[in-house]
Amino acid sequence: MLKYMVRRVLEAIPTLLGVTVISFIMIHIVPGSPVRILLGNHYTLERAAVLSKELGLNKPLWMQYFIWLGNLLRGNFGFSYVYNKPVAHLVLQALPHTLIIVVASILVAHLFAVFLGSVQAYYQDSMFDQVATVINYLFYSMPSFWLGVLLIIVFSIDLHWLPSGGIVSSQIANPGFGDWLRHLILPVCSLFMISVAGWARYMRSSMRESLLQDYVRTARMKGANEFRVVFVHALRNSILPLITLFGLSLPALLAGALFIEEIFNYPGMGLLYWNAVNSRDYPIIMGITVFLGIVTVLGNLVADILYGIVDPRIQYR
Amino acid sequence: MPNILDVESLNVEFNINGTYYPAVHDVSFHINPGETVGLVGESGCGKSVTSLALVRLLPKSARVNGEVLYEGRNLLTLADGEMRKIRGDGIGMIFQEPMTSLNPVYKIGAQISETLLLHRDISAKEAFAQSVDMLKKVGIPRPEEIMDEHPHQLSGGMRQRVMIAIAMACNPHLLIADEPTTALDVTIQAQILELMREISNEFGTSILLITHDLGVVAEMCHRVVVMYAGQIVEQGTVDDLFFNPQHPYTRGLLNAIPKIDARSKQRLQPIEGNVPSLTRMPKGCRFSPRCPHVMDQCKVQSPELFEVENIHFSRCWMNEKKEI
Repeated sequence: MLKYMVRRVLEAIPTLLGVTVISFIMIHIVPGSPVRILLGNHYTLERAAVLSKELGLNKPLWMQYFIWLGNLLRGNFGFSYVYNKPVAHLVLQALPHTLIIVVASILVAHLFAVFLGSVQAYYQDSMFDQVATVINYLFYSMPSFWLGVLLIIVFSIDLHWLPSGGIVSSQIANPGFGDWLRHLILPVCSLFMISVAGWARYMRSSMRESLLQDYVRTARMKGANEFRVVFVHALRNSILPLITLFGLSLPALLAGALFIEEIFNYPGMGLLYWNAVNSRDYPIIMGITVFLGIVTVLGNLVADILYGIVDPRIQYR
Repeated sequence: MPNILDVESLNVEFNINGTYYPAVHDVSFHINPGETVGLVGESGCGKSVTSLALVRLLPKSARVNGEVLYEGRNLLTLADGEMRKIRGDGIGMIFQEPMTSLNPVYKIGAQISETLLLHRDISAKEAFAQSVDMLKKVGIPRPEEIMDEHPHQLSGGMRQRVMIAIAMACNPHLLIADEPTTALDVTIQAQILELMREISNEFGTSILLITHDLGVVAEMCHRVVVMYAGQIVEQGTVDDLFFNPQHPYTRGLLNAIPKIDARSKQRLQPIEGNVPSLTRMPKGCRFSPRCPHVMDQCKVQSPELFEVENIHFSRCWMNEKKEI
């Protein structure tokens, strides 16, 4: 098991390197230079040349890449051009906020999708199933940022029920846990409702298949009731494809968080990334890219391990 | 003492595109305490449908009527909760496919204990101990270790033994075995049959044995019910059937068994044609299109079950007792 994990991590290293090369090239292809943005109105050719040299941007691209990589291997993610702080520090500061949104929406989405999909499969082709399928499609085809804006319009602007952004209310002197929680609701909802739609559809088809299996008949023959048949016997077999999706959805959700954080002005990694792209803050962009790459690899590894826990037939070699 | 099982004019119909087609038609038979009854016929003649109808495990598209009296209670009119109390406790069932009938993600121990925990008011510890005993009884070596293993670690024969342990855990009065040995190889087959016979003798369990293998019937059963195209065509003791078969279908089945002592060049005689499909039942006698002795009457009028002699019945016009 440990051997398997080590091997998987080692195998991921070439992939991660490839990702950094491609991102590095791409951000330099994008028009607009950090020097021009940093100097703003003070821009002159001489100042630009000095700043370029200072930031190391006058060197050939391949050399810049290897300098960056060398620093990375020594644990140095570089300095932000704009904030003039270490990238690692900025990322670690923003990370908890993003993690809360993403983990909360993954958990809620999984629980909800598993339940909804199972019930839909059990009552397949009933009125309930058909209505749920239509609603699922509706959310499935909705971009999360669009849903986020919609939720703000309805629940913040029209109904005044929930805050439209930030982590806590700035008007209150000592915002407590409840206030913080209220700020989480809309961003988490915009992310989770869309994940639920997709996952519930997977769960439905997976559960439909499980319910036709012989062991389900065996369970009924033992005298188990229908709740037990569905949620004990069929569920654990149906959940396997969702675990794979869990691994794949982690980076997708982090990317979704990018838009959501921008819309809700939520100071997590997504907002940091968004601002870095706008100001061409290369070190931050690269730092977060590496981080997302690592998360993707870890997400898949976690999914594989969970797979083995749920399905005893899986062996790690 | 009442019969363990009394099936009275059982009918099963399946809804295919809005129309109901009969899959089992007017089936009546009974099982005495301690008796093993064979239910025989080709694939697709309604044996499995009959057995699943008895315990109400057919899909919702099936419509069942008639009476299934288990120890005097009609199972077809019981509330769902009452029916669940009988499944696994009064009636146990094992299936054709030992490879897929066990849940792949749970340990053997949990799967056997489950039956006990569902029906008996005992602790998990006691259920575990009783499960180990049950595994011993079905002839599984190192039962304690097997309790902790998953189904994929066992062979087909072992899995069928586990299935028997699950079905027998609560010591049911009736065991329904739906082609229990079809998926196993011959030596294992013999072991499983031997095991079922021991269990039947030891616990006095009645067995409804569904099979297409007449060899199995000869070895195991007291009485036999032969089904064709959803109907009973012949019913009698094992001796009646093997030494005095009346219905041309039964004779056909007997002729299709290879005989080891036969002179080498003698060919097997298959029954020509196939079992008719649900949607295309022939008029008159359902076997008439394949029957070597077909008469004009057979193509128009369906025969009833005629009594040939004491408890031996045949659904053939040739067995009609003509008044002289």
